[in-house]
Amino acid sequence: MAQSTLKGIPRALRGALDKVALWSRINSPWLVHFNSGSCNGCDIEILATLAPRYDLERFGVKLQGSPRHADVLICTGPVTRLARERLLRTYEQMPVPKFVVAVGSCSITGGAFHGCYNIVGDIGDVIPVDVYVPGCPPRPEAIIDGVVQLLTKLKGGAPAKAPEADARLGGGS
Amino acid sequence: MSVETDFLRIQGSVAPWVSGSRTAENRLDMDTSAERLVPAVTALRSLSWGYLSAITGFDSGTAAPSDGHIELLYHFCNGPAVATFRVKVPREDPSVPSIGPLVPSAVMYERELAETMGVKVAGLPKKRQFLSDDWPENVYPLRKDFTMESAAATREVGPAVGSEEAPGTFIIPIGPQHPALKEPGHFELAVDGEIVTHADIRLGYVHRGIEKGAEDRSWVHNIYLMERICGICSHIHATAYVLGVESLSGVAVPPRAQTVRTIFCEMERIHSHLLWLGVAAHQAGFDTLFMYSWRDRETIMDLLEELSGNRVNYSVNLLGGVKYDIDGKAADSVRRGLDFLERRTTHYLKIVTTDESFLRRTRGVGAITFDQANLLGTIGPTARASGVSRDLRVEAPYMAYRDFPVRPVLDSRCDLEARFVVRINELFESYRLIREMLDHMPAGELAVPAPRKVPEGEVISRVEAPRGELFYYIRSTGGVKPDRVKVRTPSLCNWAAVLSVAVGHKLADIPMIMVGIDPCFSCNDRSITLRRRGSAESWSWEDLRAYGISYYAGGGA
Repeated sequence: MAQSTLKGIPRALRGALDKVALWSRINSPWLVHFNSGSCNGCDIEILATLAPRYDLERFGVKLQGSPRHADVLICTGPVTRLARERLLRTYEQMPVPKFVVAVGSCSITGGAFHGCYNIVGDIGDVIPVDVYVPGCPPRPEAIIDGVVQLLTKLKGGAPAKAPEADARLGGGS
Repeated sequence: MSVETDFLRIQGSVAPWVSGSRTAENRLDMDTSAERLVPAVTALRSLSWGYLSAITGFDSGTAAPSDGHIELLYHFCNGPAVATFRVKVPREDPSVPSIGPLVPSAVMYERELAETMGVKVAGLPKKRQFLSDDWPENVYPLRKDFTMESAAATREVGPAVGSEEAPGTFIIPIGPQHPALKEPGHFELAVDGEIVTHADIRLGYVHRGIEKGAEDRSWVHNIYLMERICGICSHIHATAYVLGVESLSGVAVPPRAQTVRTIFCEMERIHSHLLWLGVAAHQAGFDTLFMYSWRDRETIMDLLEELSGNRVNYSVNLLGGVKYDIDGKAADSVRRGLDFLERRTTHYLKIVTTDESFLRRTRGVGAITFDQANLLGTIGPTARASGVSRDLRVEAPYMAYRDFPVRPVLDSRCDLEARFVVRINELFESYRLIREMLDHMPAGELAVPAPRKVPEGEVISRVEAPRGELFYYIRSTGGVKPDRVKVRTPSLCNWAAVLSVAVGHKLADIPMIMVGIDPCFSCNDRSITLRRRGSAESWSWEDLRAYGISYYAGGGA
């Protein structure tokens, strides 16, 4: 586990409880979505992924409003100058352990908007990303595949880079 | 009344304030000056002609043969006709008076001019303090001498400025990350109990700088960029752009290509309206309708994919034509899909007009009266639901709409229910149009060659996007890249109306009212201002973040 949240509980119990927490996390990851400058194409495809045809909810995935309730941040778009601090803030509001899925070409490289004056970079420049889903926009199947890859990764253990990343963010920017 | 007589009437009444005027097909250009702008606009308004569609600014740069001016173009539109006031101001001290008191919708455009062009707009309502976030001062991205290096500098964001709201007012901030919309926008709603007393919006979270980006890309490359202004109405953006460029280069596009483009436009409208229906139902808490309409929307997504290979950015347009043909087999599957959608749409119309609990959220809520809609310059289905007949497909037919006339869909009830009914009825109209176009598809080529360089000139290209009139101003200096591409998207026009009708409603109705105009942020996020509000004891973002990290590191985790 990235970080045990079980202070004050006997050490012998912690391992078992961590297993339960991981099991429940894998079976019902909650998503929060943030658009930091996307053209809307990816956002609509994410919504279509949750709609009946593709039905991401069958994996126990639920999209909900508050970052404080979320396990996974699903990001779209390049990062604009103004959205940057909001993206950070949304990320930091999430409880640990937290995971990031970046959807779309823009979130990987800036895509079509690379070089525009109000773009500060891609998602990976601002927060640590666990899974990238390429495409402009990616098909719903690709987004599902991205989430499933994340879940597979979760079974293996902790999110990559998270502790160092937290230190980096804590240091201010 | 014909366009020519209208223009004569306008020229007659503004004559004292105009130094020269030229007419072309559906265009009237009038030269005026900063001092005479207000009386000239007053004279035009006194004729009750048209509405302010956009304000374009362009910088002629400092290199010869330019005389170092910034030129401002105030475009007023009425049906197919565009009357433009042209004002030249010196680059060193560009200042113009605000026309906001005469035309309320001008304020958004003027603010944009002030921020991106550095035009000082005197009398721009300054009830609040607008400060740019960390954007450096005196750096204006749409000026020709702008460099990325100059934007890299940051400006110290000063201490929070005093807020001006009356003591005792409670402000509810919403967004930019919020569950209601899929896109970031920040709203501030002042409330007295349950009732909203003031509404404000902060845009710019998805402002990317596309207009400037377009100046660095070739004419062809820009088709790709324009499609990505908005992922919902990607085709219409590319269409407006290529229609403008083709008209500048004098390329005659074959009729079959125009018909294919028009079919895609209507299919895009279908997907967009169904998408909106679902999102709007979701705001009302009617998730069953949301899921049904999104399930049915997949039918049109499948058809778009079958025709173009893509679900979202179809990439249909070329300069001079289209990439894809619609053959008999594809046409048959489109017809089958439309038959299914038509049955479903009939069902939706029944739901939104008869479901008792749904009607309580929509009937009589969020009314924009005919006069308000007219004065505030609303467009698209929002205007048509208030009885204002603004539909370019009807008033100024372009592409295949010339041969396949559109019947206008209007409703005079002005409330949210009318906005549902208008959009759903427009779906039926789109089904009919597509069937007719498929049945009478002109034969011939799909594309003709278009030159890489576009002759010098300027053009205004206006098309009807799913959300209303989309306005492009394109200017070429004869090179391989555009000199200026100005995009005014429909959502921007409708914010003024929605913010003013929000006042007086219950807080719970606000999401429905907001979504009633089908807002789209990705295309309207133009301003880069940030409003800082707070008092001496308010925390800065850094303080909050430090507190949050120490809180979770110490106590929680």
